[in-house]
Parts: sequence; structure tokens; C-alpha cells
Amino acid sequence: MDDLKTYAEITWCPGCGNFGIFTAVRNAIPLLEEKGIKRDNIVITSGIGCHGKIFDYLNLSGFYGLHGRNCSNSEGIKIANPDLKVINFSGDANGLAEGLAHTIFAAKRNQDITFILHNNSVYALTTGQFSPLAEKGWKGPSTPRGSYEEPFNPMSLMIEAGATFVARGFAGDTKHLTDIIVQGVEHEGFSFIEILQPAVPYHKWTEYREQVEYLVKEPETYFKAFKAAKENHKFTLGVFYRTQRPVYHKELYADHNPITDRINRKVRLEKIRKILESK
Amino acid sequence: MDSDVFTFLVGGKAGEGVKKAGSVAAHMFSSMGRHIFQMDDYMSLIRGGHNFSVVSTAPRWISSHYMKANLVVNFDKRSCEAHMNDIAEKGIMIFNSDEQENERGIGIPLTSEAKKYPMKSLMYGVGAVAILSATIGFEKEKMNQIIEEEYSRGIEDNIAFANKIYDLVYPDCGKKFTLDKGDKKRPIITGNEAISLGAIAGGLDVYYGYPMTPASTILHTLAREANNFGLAVVHAEGEIAVINMAIGSAFTGARVMVGTSGGGFALMTEGFSLAGITEAPVLVILSQRPGPATGVPTYTEQADLAFALTAGHGDFLRIVTSPRTVREAYYLSGEMLNLVWKFQTPGILLTEKHLSESSMTVEIDVEKSKWEEPKMHIVGDYKRYLDTDDGVSPMLFPPSNQIIKWNSYEHDEFGITTENAEKISLMHDKRNKKLKILIEYLKGQDTVRIIRGENPTNIFTYGSTYMSVLEALRYASLNPTIVAPIYLSPLPIWKLEEFKEQENIVIEQSSTGQFTKLLKEKAGMKIRNTIKKYDGRPFDPIDLAKKLKEVL
Repeated sequence: MDDLKTYAEITWCPGCGNFGIFTAVRNAIPLLEEKGIKRDNIVITSGIGCHGKIFDYLNLSGFYGLHGRNCSNSEGIKIANPDLKVINFSGDANGLAEGLAHTIFAAKRNQDITFILHNNSVYALTTGQFSPLAEKGWKGPSTPRGSYEEPFNPMSLMIEAGATFVARGFAGDTKHLTDIIVQGVEHEGFSFIEILQPAVPYHKWTEYREQVEYLVKEPETYFKAFKAAKENHKFTLGVFYRTQRPVYHKELYADHNPITDRINRKVRLEKIRKILESK
Repeated sequence: MDSDVFTFLVGGKAGEGVKKAGSVAAHMFSSMGRHIFQMDDYMSLIRGGHNFSVVSTAPRWISSHYMKANLVVNFDKRSCEAHMNDIAEKGIMIFNSDEQENERGIGIPLTSEAKKYPMKSLMYGVGAVAILSATIGFEKEKMNQIIEEEYSRGIEDNIAFANKIYDLVYPDCGKKFTLDKGDKKRPIITGNEAISLGAIAGGLDVYYGYPMTPASTILHTLAREANNFGLAVVHAEGEIAVINMAIGSAFTGARVMVGTSGGGFALMTEGFSLAGITEAPVLVILSQRPGPATGVPTYTEQADLAFALTAGHGDFLRIVTSPRTVREAYYLSGEMLNLVWKFQTPGILLTEKHLSESSMTVEIDVEKSKWEEPKMHIVGDYKRYLDTDDGVSPMLFPPSNQIIKWNSYEHDEFGITTENAEKISLMHDKRNKKLKILIEYLKGQDTVRIIRGENPTNIFTYGSTYMSVLEALRYASLNPTIVAPIYLSPLPIWKLEEFKEQENIVIEQSSTGQFTKLLKEKAGMKIRNTIKKYDGRPFDPIDLAKKLKEVL
């Protein structure tokens, strides 16, 4: 059976939450194929950090970008060929520190990509510094007296920024997570999925398992979604917001595809001649 | 002054239609079959200040504006004072007599005449067109027709105003200048329009930009033409997004270009290096303005050369070229798109405000541009970074049933991250191999323009400064050999070898002589003297001619 794995040696720590995400993604792909999304059309991107290693492990085409910038790579892929389904992996530093502007703008544009945020609330690969989603007071090598910053609330931040599918999953519940990933990829528009993902050298699984709970009901309106994002604690799982809004590439060129509908040289030269004649 | 050149200079506040008047004048000259060169000098503001437009025209190809104008038209006092010394011998200045008195020129009450119409000062540009028409004996009907075509708002008022101004000017200076007709009407385009159209001819699919003078008009031109040519043209949130989006698009097989100036390119350098390791074909248009930092946004310089040649961390291949004329900019942008795909590496088309935003009459052979397909994978299991003899790996784009992995980490041939010592050096060697075939290819191309002359001293120049040099040499009737490289990286040293030990002088727009340094370091050239200009203004042919006479 095709397990969607490459030959790359897996170097996540034993017990890392990333394994749960890896499993959920591999479970989601065949389900998406059943729903008519071709595997050949799926493209992944990663930034830099522990999350990014998933690029080497998943046997899918894609682009392993710079720290903080792969969201722009994802947008560029979608804009050039809208037939492709882009799954964008990011850590909380990659997507909300170095790459915050790109994440917010991709949501603002309602780019039709799925943004998966591995939230381990720490800079794991670079030895445990506080991250954009770390609790205030996090003691790491760069903040020996504890961090001074409050973490972002990724759910309300993304609802505000313009994402049209905003959800939270947990690496310890791969069944629920698989379902959310499938819904996110199917959704037309910017899907933002935060995944609680323990980085075991820094956080224990029990910290999560003891607090995780599920949204009773998916909020129906923007304001109810915002309220749910603000009032529930950060271990609350489920779909917080889902709406429909025109996607960026269709606003840009409707049903055109710059690559598959490329205008040939002869036609271009004829048009250029006309432009030059008018100058 | 060279008798076959006529120069029109119009100056006033931003918002009074100075640039437009220059452009309409240029079209009047081109309708007479003449060649033109238009240079716009404007400040970084929206209303007020002082802007001027200079249009020089001749019955032959002209490659620079002249700062000594035969006809100077000023809308305000500041403009009048600024251009007092720009009047050529036997030239005239026509000023706005409602603004000031001046014994050296002829006063026309532009303000009080324009006040009779609702558009008021917005009509000054039309006034300048009328003044020009009267002084060169351009018939009223033809003038009215041009005004109707060029000024779509308030046509009747504009025509009435223009006729009044024409009649006021005519008694004193009607038909003062006689302009011979040229052979045929040619299109007038800016350097940035040439770059945009040339890229489209070379197969451009996607363009990303963030507004930054003097590159912004590439973004504007392509955004306007996006639907016409089926392009995706995106104004992103910043230059870092721009370069990374571009690389994402290249991954799908899209021919992609980005445009910026020095500061924006500084932000792109990490992405430029990313294009190096991922072997992403991306073309950067780097249109220079004076730096460092914010510098002088709306003026010209050639001081990003050293930056373009070295930008980006790590070792990787790049192609850097600089077009010398507007026409060449058209061919070169298409050729550069081709080259970055042929060799799968990033490239920079380096230019300046002086080329980007100046307009020229051009003759373009649209069929001449190339649009070749990259080397594609045909059969078997795909490896993105397959180590081939020439270092160029076959390409494949999604959607595909093969796995295509592009990686910013050092990687194996399949595209998976590696820290293995052997694989790291193998990948460096693979990428470095491409330089050899690039040079082989370039040896068959027109990489350095050499115009053989009689004077024993050679002149080295590049970019739009080449045009200033040509015009200055013509003005001064000097005839040295001119050597102007189009390719700057790799520098075609095989073409420069013969001049190495000769008497060489360099002309460039950099205060530290970056081009001079390049020639010395890369080609071992002996350089006797460098003529530099770094005040943000392009060379004036007459000033440059004086300097050339001193050194030749």
C-alpha cells in the first residue's frame, strides 16, 4: 500500500506531535482523492522549523521554502496555476513571526490555499526560545526571565484577517484532525487550520490531553465565530468559522489559467504590433 | 549646437500637465517623421514643486535630450528662474506673464486666459502645446486634432484655449523654427514599456511587483495589459512576498518576472539566493535610482551594479545584463526570460531611471524575440536535481504523477534535504557546471557592442549612459572606439581582451566608479580615466562632449 512516505530518515523527536499531523495528512489524501481531488494536483509547501521536515517525509510534490516565506510561494503557485491544490505547512514562528505579513495578506486576499499551522508554542529546532503563541513568561534562552509578550489568538486573528475557514485540531486526535484537514482542503478559499502539537522536549502530552475540549456547535455567523474564538480557551477544537467569499485568483482573472490558457507567441506578437502602432 | 536637433523644454508645477505636454510634443515631432528623445525630470511629490520635460528631436536617430533648448516654456516663476540658462543660442523662452516679468523672454498671460475655463491651471499643458505649434508653424487644424486625441477632458475648452494662445504667440514668434520632415512615423515608448512588451513577447505569464520608482510603470503597464495577454499581474504586500511568489510561480512552469529598484531589491536578496539553490528561473528588473537607502527616488544613477553582481548569500550562478537603449530593452527582457529558463538560475536586467522613464522613437522587429521551451523531462522516474553533464536538470511541472520537489535546503538529486558531505559538494558542482555552458552560449551572442573608431583612446560605458556618450560624441564630432558590454555577469572578457593594455576611459554614473572597478578586477583592464556623474541627472551631451574633449 502506498503510504505516502519518502525514503528520508525521520528526525522528529520520538513522541513528537508532528507524527500525529503526518498521520492525519496521509490519511486525508486518499479521502480527498475519493472526493475527486487528484493527488497529481496536490502540492505542498513548507517553511523552516520542525514543521518543515514534513516536506521531506511526504511523497508529494512541492516547494520547501525559506523561513517565514513559504506562504508567498504557495500564493505564487496558486496564482500561476489555479488547478493546483496547495497545502501550506507552517510552524507558529514561521507563519506568525517571520512570515506574519504573508499569512495575514493571504487571508485578506482569500487565497485558495490550506494553511496548516503546527502550533508547538516554542522555537523547537533553534533550542526553545519563546514563540508568537508561547504563554507569557516562557523561559527560553532568549528570555531567561520569562517572555514579556502575550501570545496571539490565532483563531480570532485569522477571522479578522479574512480567512474563510478557521479551525483548530489536535495532533493527539488524528481522526478529528483528518476530518478537519479534508474539510479545509475542500473549502474554496483561505483555510486556516491551527494544530496543537506538543514538542516533547518542551511540553508534555498531558498538558494538552487534560485541557482539550471540543466546540459544541460550529458558530453560524462572523460575530458568533469571533465570540467563540475569544471566549473559548486555546485548547478548544473544532471549526470556528466557515463562510464563502470570492477567491483571489478568480477576482484576478476569473476562470482563466495563466499556464494552461497561455496565449501563444503569434497572437502575442500581433497584439504587440498593434500596441506599437498606437504609440 | 548640432543644427539638426530641436529641443523643447516645458516646466511648471506637478499637476499642471508638464509631462503630458512633453509627450504630446514628442508625438507632434514623430508625426512629422522625426526621431525624439524625451526626458522627464520630476520631484517626489504629487502637487506643486518644479517639474520639467525636455524633448529633443532630429531627422535622424537621437539618443539623448539636450539641456539647451530652442524653445523653453515656463508655467511659473520658479520654472522661469530654473531654466534661465537652458535657453540655446537663438532660442526663446516663453513665460507666464501673469506670474512674473522677464526681459529675456516673451510673456503670455497663461493664467488669466486659463481662468476663463473651469479647468484653469490644468490647461497649461495645452497652452504649451499651442505655443510649440505656433513657433514651429504646425497648422492649427492638426494641432486641434492632436489636442482632441490627447486631452479627452473638456475638448472644446481646450481647443478654444489653445487657439487663443496660438494667436497670442504667432505675431512675435510664429514659424520661428523650421523643422524638416523625417522619413516616417515611429512609435514612441518608454524603457519600461519596452521591458514589459519584450517580456510578453518572450512568454511572460506572471508579474509581481510592489510600487517603487522608477520600476512602478512596469507594474502599471503589465496590469493594464493583463487581460489582453492573459497574464496574472499582482501588486503584493512587499518585495519579500514578490520574490517568493515569483519563485512559487516558476515552480509551476510559469515564466515570471518581478520589478523593483535598489531598496526593494535589497529586500529580495534572500529570495534571490533561494532562486539560486532551487534553480528557479526568475527574472528581476532592477531599475536604479540614486542610493544609498531611500536616496533620490525620481532621479537616475548606476550605483547598484556591484550590488546586482553579488546580491544573495552563498555561491550561485546569476546572469546580469543592462540594456543600452529603449529598443534593446525590448529584445533583452525577452532574451533574459529565455536565459533564466535555459540555465535555470536567476537573472537581473539592470537599468536606470534614465532608460526606464525616458521615451524614444523606436523601430522594433517583433519577430526577433525568442521564446524557447526549457529542457523537459521525458521518461522514467523524475529527479528534479538530476546531475547532468552540463548541470542543467530536465524540468517537470505539476500537476504530474511524478514527484517534483524543489528545496531551499541543500538537497539530493530527488530534492530531499541533505547534510551528507558528498552530496553537498556534488550539488555545488552540478550548479557551478552551468557557468561553462552559459559562457559557451554567450560566445555566440552579441554580448558587447563595439563601435570601431579612429581615436586611439577607447571609451567604455554601459546601460543608458551609452546613449549619452553616443550623442556627445556626435555633438563634438569625436570618433573613438566605443566598447559597451550588455552582459555584466558573466562579463564577456573574451571580447575585452584586445583592449586590455590600450588607452581606456570609462564613463559611468557612480561616484565610486563601480563599472571601472568591474573592468579592472574581472577583465584586468588598464583604465586611464573615469568620467563620473552622480548628481541624479543623466549626462547632457554638450557637457559630456566638453569633458570628452579634455580626456581624448
